[in-house]
Amino acid sequence: MSTILSDELLSELMAVGQVDVLVGLPTLNHSDSVGPVVRAAHVAFNRELARERTALVNVDGGSTDGTPDIVRDASIVDRETLVASQSLRTGHRISAPYHGVPGKASALRTVFAAADLLQARAVVVLDPEIASVTAESVVALVRPALAGEADFASPAYARHPLDGPLVTQVVRPLFRAAYGLPLQEPLAGEFGCSGRFASRCLDEPVWESDDLRLAIDLWISGMAAGDGLRVSEVGLGPRRLTARPRPAVAALVPQVLDALFTSLRLHEARWTSLTRGSLPLRRSTRPASLPEPGTTVDAEAYAALFGEGLAALGPMLERVLPSSILDALRAAAAPAGSVRLPDELWAAVLLELAASHRHATISRDHLVRAAVPLYLGRVASFAAEVEGLDPEAADERLEALCRNFERSRGDLVARWTAPAR
Amino acid sequence: MPDDLWYKDAIFYELHVKAYSDGDGNGMGDFPGLLTRLEHLKGLGIDCVWLLPMYPSPFRDDGYDISDYCAIHPKYGTLEDFRAFLGAAHERGLRVITELVINHTSDQHPWFKEARSSRESPKRGYYVWSDTDDRYRGVRIIFRDAEMSNWAWDPVSKTYYWHRFFSHQPDLNFDNPAVREEIWRVMRFWLELGVDGFRVDAVPYLVEREGTSCENLPETHEVMRELRRLMDAEFPGRLLLAEANMWPEEVRPYFGDGDQFHMAFHFPLMPRMFMALRLEDRKPLVEIVERTPAIPSSCQWGLFLRNHDELTLEMVTDAERDYMYGEYAKDPVARLNLGIRRRLAPLLDGDRRRIELMNALLLSLPGSPFLYYGDEIGMGDNVYLGDRNGVRTPMQWTGGWNGGFSTADPERLYQPLISNPVYGYQAVNVESQRRQETSLLNWTRRIIEVRRSTRVFGRGSIEFLNPVNHRVLAYVRTLGSERVLVVNNLSGTAQAVELDLAGLAGAIPIEMFGRSLFPRIRERPYVMTLGPYDFFWFKLRWL
Repeated sequence: MSTILSDELLSELMAVGQVDVLVGLPTLNHSDSVGPVVRAAHVAFNRELARERTALVNVDGGSTDGTPDIVRDASIVDRETLVASQSLRTGHRISAPYHGVPGKASALRTVFAAADLLQARAVVVLDPEIASVTAESVVALVRPALAGEADFASPAYARHPLDGPLVTQVVRPLFRAAYGLPLQEPLAGEFGCSGRFASRCLDEPVWESDDLRLAIDLWISGMAAGDGLRVSEVGLGPRRLTARPRPAVAALVPQVLDALFTSLRLHEARWTSLTRGSLPLRRSTRPASLPEPGTTVDAEAYAALFGEGLAALGPMLERVLPSSILDALRAAAAPAGSVRLPDELWAAVLLELAASHRHATISRDHLVRAAVPLYLGRVASFAAEVEGLDPEAADERLEALCRNFERSRGDLVARWTAPAR
Repeated sequence: MPDDLWYKDAIFYELHVKAYSDGDGNGMGDFPGLLTRLEHLKGLGIDCVWLLPMYPSPFRDDGYDISDYCAIHPKYGTLEDFRAFLGAAHERGLRVITELVINHTSDQHPWFKEARSSRESPKRGYYVWSDTDDRYRGVRIIFRDAEMSNWAWDPVSKTYYWHRFFSHQPDLNFDNPAVREEIWRVMRFWLELGVDGFRVDAVPYLVEREGTSCENLPETHEVMRELRRLMDAEFPGRLLLAEANMWPEEVRPYFGDGDQFHMAFHFPLMPRMFMALRLEDRKPLVEIVERTPAIPSSCQWGLFLRNHDELTLEMVTDAERDYMYGEYAKDPVARLNLGIRRRLAPLLDGDRRRIELMNALLLSLPGSPFLYYGDEIGMGDNVYLGDRNGVRTPMQWTGGWNGGFSTADPERLYQPLISNPVYGYQAVNVESQRRQETSLLNWTRRIIEVRRSTRVFGRGSIEFLNPVNHRVLAYVRTLGSERVLVVNNLSGTAQAVELDLAGLAGAIPIEMFGRSLFPRIRERPYVMTLGPYDFFWFKLRWL
């Protein structure tokens, strides 16, 4: 008998009973970072959410570094907070392994199943790698659903457009074009949602699919575009990740593109049939000013890699991009050491890549790898364009890119639904 | 998009206009008064209001003797008042069905007056006449206490006319196409006004044939089929509900192939619910449900605990009737015809736990439930008011003047309010129960809300479990992949029960009122304990 919830977890949930707020925390060997995240939730439970019925459910993928123990034992260390914070109710903190295919999708399914069973009014999923999480940010993600104002609350971080260019140049604009949802962080691993949203996700028949494993975060964000759901975006200040080894760009770009295109495929019935325009978001106050970029983009090196990649991968790209686009890319790469890849051209490239991924025109793995130099070219182009601009002006430039993508929505649907070339 | 099968999920509420709320202070309820009470119905979670007869009538049978089909009794208001009420109900998402009393008219109806005036009258053929009273011999007399024969002598035209009920209620002649056209005109009149359907009174008796019981004849079904066809063609989504106090297998033909009635009352189930409770034994209830034939998928049973009539014991054996009289009508004055003229709360000794259990059964067995006005607050009755008037007393809205029913002098009320210390309006009324979180009114609202959270109760199949403990009634309702397990303790003492739920192994039972989780069901027997008259509704989830 295959079940989502283990008997041990079910038994713990029975003891918890109905809750107002459920915080889900998927982990896998996060002993280095999970403590502060649990503490932030704990403080939120004891301080801002002292009257609510709360539970923290940690679903662990089989950590070997003692992560579940840390989750169970983490406590408030700051004496002042300890004295000032006292929940009126018994606190529940559960740590349990999840059933099913290893990966975050199974972990989230378990969180949603727990939320569904406990009839949680608000659910927050936290990313154990976000070192900047605070009790305030937990509460900010909880509030929209708890107040009945939104079904999905996505985070917005105060970061420069050149921080996380994979999000700003690829994920954000294409997601917005498809779903009409102007989310800043569709790829975020942390979000808040209503119990209704969690149940709706749980009822989707995709949980056993391998594709979902790749694309779970974007799939969740895509679910927010569903009928009758209200979406909000909450400002959480600067974003800081726990220091740990991360994949290099050459590995990360294919991974994210694969996830993005796959999520579009999983949700294609949802977004291709949308007739509405861009959905207004309920936004909490945005930070007063954006910071300078945390890392610098080596535009010259990226431009060089773009040119080289374009030349080396020409035969493969010819199979997925129309010659007009390919010619335009080659022209953009012509002045050695610099690149000018305009918004319209970049939108056309991404649309073609998405459609080719859907039709598997060439091996999907090859396709997303071949896209790496194109991405580098676009980042180099954008970096050159915003060089010298203050962060707000650069952000406006980014917004213009997203609007450009939004205007190309018709083309995206047409290319996506057209027969394979 | 409107759902033409809305009645399968609906909660119905039966009320008398005269008894509900008096808008003009003349001591009699009316439509302007009723309009002001719609929020109560909406708040309760009602989907459809069933109005008892509201037509002009000499009131010799509480309005079931109609003298004008296309008007409102002046005491209840005007047609404009009715329109305003109907519009306000629809605005709140409430449907309204009315009575269609077509077997007979009042002898004061212009059709009958004209028909009896001369044997050559064009309306003569609207009724059933005979020069002798020996036609249709052997046909049973329904009101034995009041009538000696189904024929009555008309001294005006010097012939006999046929009546299955009181002699002042001559039967219409449904063999006459003109009568069928008239009835369709009547239906059309109300449907065009916007009513959502009809509860059709005394259905089995429409047509007479020599040598038969004159009940449930094929020709009667043909009449109904024709009316249904006409209604569906012009007014899809409207409802026909049959009153046929018969065994389920006799009522079954009134559903036809889904081309006669949408709904029919399940009369024999009701007394068996009371019997099972008093016997502390599920047997009578399970037997009658299992004996109930399948009906077309578009059709539905109407279930009720109490209504405007006596708790009828026609559909029980003599032994069962004796038992019911002994247990529920120890005072002979409570007995009337073949039944017991009591309301729900007094029948159950005012025991809140039993009232809740009976309502829980009503709302979880297959069918659409009908609540009787006042039972949501546990109103009492007055058996000394004669006939069935004791269960038709004014609705108790507040503890103030006339229970908030009317501003008239108390002596002017159409009949007195219940005023005893236990059930009187000072103690039992909507206002005080609205304010008290744990009141029966708020509990009723809550259970309706829970029932409405799923379609499985209105549309699902039922499968009884058979635990050794006969005091426990358990069943599984299934609709597609949705399943609800219902467990009831019919006894006044705590019970333990082992349920064989192997077929549901893996499911997590979630109690539907408090959303508490129960241990996962396994192959082995599932042990439960229940307090006196406890019941559980469990939604089963496979997670």
